[in-house]
Amino acid sequence: MGVISAIGDTVAKNRVSLTDSSCGIGRLQLFNSNYAGQRPCGEIKTPTEILRSRLNVVTPGITRTTLLGLHAMEEAIQDAQLTTAELASSHTALITGSTVGGMCLTDEFYQDVNDKEGGSEYIDSYDCASMALYLQQQFGIAGIINTINTACSSSANAILYGARLIKNGLAKRAIVGGADSLAKFTINGFNALHILSPEICRPFDEHRRGLNLGEGAAFLVLEKEEEVKDKKHYGVLSGYGNTNDAYHPSSLSEQGTGPYLSMKGALEMAGLAPADIGFINAHGTGTENNDLVESRAMKQLFEVPPPFASTKGNTGHTLGAAGAIEAVYSLLNLRHQEIYAGLHCSRPITETGLLPVTAFKKLPLQHVMSNSFGFGGNCTSLIFSNS
Amino acid sequence: MPMLYIHQTSCISPQATLGEGDISILHQAVNQQLRVIEPAYKGIPPGVLRKMSKSVRMGMGAALPLMDQLNNINGIIIGTANAGMEDCFLFLKQLVEYEEGQLTPGNFVQSTPNALAAQLAMLTGNNGYNITHVHLGLAFENALIDAAMRLKEYPGHRYLLGALDDISSYNYVLNVLAGWYKQENFLMEQLYTLQTPGSIAGEGAAMFLVNGEKENALAQVKAIHTVHSTREGEVQQQLQHFLEQHLQPGENIDVLISGENGDCRLQKYYDGCTALLPAATSVVRFKHMCGEYPTASAMALWLACYILQQKLLPHHVISNHFPSEKCRHILLYNNHKGMQHGFLLVGAVD
Repeated sequence: MGVISAIGDTVAKNRVSLTDSSCGIGRLQLFNSNYAGQRPCGEIKTPTEILRSRLNVVTPGITRTTLLGLHAMEEAIQDAQLTTAELASSHTALITGSTVGGMCLTDEFYQDVNDKEGGSEYIDSYDCASMALYLQQQFGIAGIINTINTACSSSANAILYGARLIKNGLAKRAIVGGADSLAKFTINGFNALHILSPEICRPFDEHRRGLNLGEGAAFLVLEKEEEVKDKKHYGVLSGYGNTNDAYHPSSLSEQGTGPYLSMKGALEMAGLAPADIGFINAHGTGTENNDLVESRAMKQLFEVPPPFASTKGNTGHTLGAAGAIEAVYSLLNLRHQEIYAGLHCSRPITETGLLPVTAFKKLPLQHVMSNSFGFGGNCTSLIFSNS
Repeated sequence: MPMLYIHQTSCISPQATLGEGDISILHQAVNQQLRVIEPAYKGIPPGVLRKMSKSVRMGMGAALPLMDQLNNINGIIIGTANAGMEDCFLFLKQLVEYEEGQLTPGNFVQSTPNALAAQLAMLTGNNGYNITHVHLGLAFENALIDAAMRLKEYPGHRYLLGALDDISSYNYVLNVLAGWYKQENFLMEQLYTLQTPGSIAGEGAAMFLVNGEKENALAQVKAIHTVHSTREGEVQQQLQHFLEQHLQPGENIDVLISGENGDCRLQKYYDGCTALLPAATSVVRFKHMCGEYPTASAMALWLACYILQQKLLPHHVISNHFPSEKCRHILLYNNHKGMQHGFLLVGAVD
């Protein structure tokens, strides 16, 4: 696996930040927006041009989103020790998720659409699929290539789609993940919805004031059990649930039907009882609506929920990348038998009384659940287990 | 082993494809764009309709005729490259004009491509599987692979499978800048004979009710394969392999539905495809009806179902001749910008 986020540009660095309870959210330094001083963000403090040269990308029109994706994918490939031949195989699939895609270039996009001649180097890059198309060409991947956009659950769905391609015999291995970078588009969009917090987000706190946007990317290499043999691996994707809340375009239903059903579906597929789950990496964005509804759904399903927390207090909400980044964190939970603190939360939500884990600790874990819920009611839950 | 059976279809396009429409009269492009004929949207409250973006509206319009079947489906699987882009651009316009000031969030919420799948789930109260594939020219093909996998994983399930893309100022201008549309004015009948670069801008929405049951099905999708390559030799080789793998000895392709779009630069891929088929194969073309857009292959699948229902095909779609015998096997080949290729084998149901 590979990851880049506001708390580190490798899996190892992310883990150090998580165990240290480090927060990568703060004042925007690189990204230019009117909201720089007013809305903290989980920004990766590496300028786009540095990323580009570090990755030796000379092709014109490659966006920050794609560069972050390439960064995480290269780490994942190296970690899994995939050979050039394995990458180029028709048995290798590449599934990505993104919400903003190339739209991170808000100003360039606006100019190009209003241009009457020429157009910038980015005219082919605004599309959501541009990252997968670039990565496919870069590595010559010959299997099924796909891009999924279910808003904030995009890369969680990329993970389950890749797993299903393997299960259905349509791939032997799948490189799955997602990327999103900060964009004026999303900063202004979430701000207009009044769900961007003016302070550092406090997932599951009674006095939470909204989410902080973040940026990042993560990729995981999934392989069929028979292919894995004695190779290094982190765990098994043992269950997943995909449902729709069918309630409202941008908020979850009071009772959290979608979240409840996606968690329940994942348990059923894994053949597990609620009590088997040792930890939940919650969606926990820090918005009024999400954290209350997710808490209610956890209570409904688990009665007494297992330890849970949201890593969005470390990274900010990385939108389309969140599902994959948090899948990496869930696998780190399992591999190192440890759980990470939910930051900035001191007072549980009065109605539910549920308090997330507030300190790093070692804990024997067999199964970890990871939740991702998006606009449009798209809910996905994944369960990772020790192999 | 077929992948899935199609039981009902519905299609909104620049032609009279909806319901019992007559597709023999060819509607021409206006201002070099083939825009869809929008229906009356019976059953959608005007207040709800007004808030919908055009892409969501089109998708809803295509899904409405299947609505009485949608109460007992197990999920919604949509493919789209551009849905929501018009709202995306409108929000962007606000953002630039008001210099990141106080903006209204309506366009932002509508700008996500999953808005249609979400809206359909809300309208039908469907909590089941819900996903939106956005992989540009293979968004619909991936949605179809997804539906086939779901039916294998959950025998007995039924899904609404669909695709849509609309012409928005976003994609129209960018595609004009990139030279993907012809500059000259022409009649749609001339699309394939001009032999100049570029095609015609188009849009459409098609919906399919699919399950694993053969009984009363209109058509079966027997196989699908996708390729990412710009090399015509490789595409042809993979098509040959696809045909060898999925046609039994003695079986032939009766009809090829070709995604030819009049762009002389892409003709080599389509020529490579016809070269693999017997000379007696009928060739049917459709982009003069719906124009070029990333999920046009969904319109091609709608047309394949139309052919298998033994309806007469209008002359304007037939490139050479039409089989006098009953058509058994239809091959769909479409490519997007010479980069993404999809093969689909569709068969009659015995």
